[in-house]
Amino acid sequence: MPFSIILASALTLDAPTIFPSSQGEPFLEWLSNSVFVSVCVAAFIIWFARQATKNMTVVPGPTQNFFEAVVQGLYDLIESIVGAHMVARVFSLLATLFIFILVSNWFALLPGVGSVGWGQAGEYGFNVTAPLLRPTTADMNMTLAMAAVFMCFWLYWSITEVGVKNFLNHIFGVKGGLTGIMALALIPVFLFVGIIEVVSMAFRPMSLSLRLFGNVFAGETLLSTMITLGKDLKLPAPIDSILSVTIPIPFYFLEILVGLLQATVFMLLCSVYIQLSTSHDEEAGH
Amino acid sequence: MDQLLTQFGIAWPKFAAQVILFLIVYAILKKFAFGQIIAVFEQRRRTIEEGQANAEKIKKQLAESEIRCQEILRKANADAQRIIEEARTSSDASTQKHTQQAIKDAENIILKANESVSLERARMVAEVKKEMVHLVVDTTAKVAGKVLTEADQERLASETSKQLAA
Repeated sequence: MPFSIILASALTLDAPTIFPSSQGEPFLEWLSNSVFVSVCVAAFIIWFARQATKNMTVVPGPTQNFFEAVVQGLYDLIESIVGAHMVARVFSLLATLFIFILVSNWFALLPGVGSVGWGQAGEYGFNVTAPLLRPTTADMNMTLAMAAVFMCFWLYWSITEVGVKNFLNHIFGVKGGLTGIMALALIPVFLFVGIIEVVSMAFRPMSLSLRLFGNVFAGETLLSTMITLGKDLKLPAPIDSILSVTIPIPFYFLEILVGLLQATVFMLLCSVYIQLSTSHDEEAGH
Repeated sequence: MDQLLTQFGIAWPKFAAQVILFLIVYAILKKFAFGQIIAVFEQRRRTIEEGQANAEKIKKQLAESEIRCQEILRKANADAQRIIEEARTSSDASTQKHTQQAIKDAENIILKANESVSLERARMVAEVKKEMVHLVVDTTAKVAGKVLTEADQERLASETSKQLAA
């Protein structure tokens, strides 16, 4: 399995380990190429955050100013959704989610990510089957991990904010301010609605993670397809070379937007889930 | 379910590694980045709120000062008007008083002058009469060519005085 560099390679659903072994169990099986990219992304984010906050001054420098602007924008956005009573508790996690997803998505657009690694010669040239760097949000392990972490925090925040009784009442209780016989009559209906609600909550991690994974994975596949379009159409080599550079350009811009959009969507959905379960009755108007 | 997860490439060691990695990033950012930034935001927010409160307070004080200033000006104007009115009244009364005094003084002066003139006139009349008597006696003595006796002089003077008085 020789090592080579090409412009792009179609991803597989499975994220292979970066230390493939032809004999027996691979070394450090958990260290997949997406975990390795996650480490790189995490290191970059932590380094940048430290650079921005190491020597904070009243009149901020460019790095501090940029980081403050991002944090301030996120803080205001999250506060407008979850409310002032929750923002201090949930901000750090939601901001981490947004920044991590955004940097990961944009990291995936760097040359070499997904196209440098191990593989073998194919019909149309070298085919990378185990890239060294895989977009970490194009790996279900990462997106599911973030969604799972969020759901654990969400459950903790919801219960500590409104209490177990109110939390259950929020799901199964009779809504609309109904009382008396009418409320009694509707209890089975709302119990059934509550069960549906529980099922929808249980599927939230999957919906969150699949949405992000699907979009990024599709974006990578799209870029790979655009780059190799000339080869697929069996065009002459010079034309193929030109097309492999020019055709993907608009799609790169599209993927920049998609990366930002998906990070925002993930964070906003998490904010909305928190708001739905932690809003007090008088605020929610129930 | 396992088959579905496997199809999507989910493997528990990798999943656990990603979870741990994400939690590490979250913990570090929360402690060393967001915490500090939010503290700075809070400090700025408090400073801005204090500034706004101070500005509001100053604005209120300015409005109160303006009202007080207007009140003082109004009162000063009223006092000034009252003082001017009093001065005018006082001035009129004083003028009236001085005029009356002047009139009275003038009348006194005129009266005294009249008395003085009368006395002077009487004195002059008396002197003229005395001169006339002497003149008549002397003239009579010269015309008669004799020396008039005391009795003649007395009689002549008496008759002359009667003639002058008539």
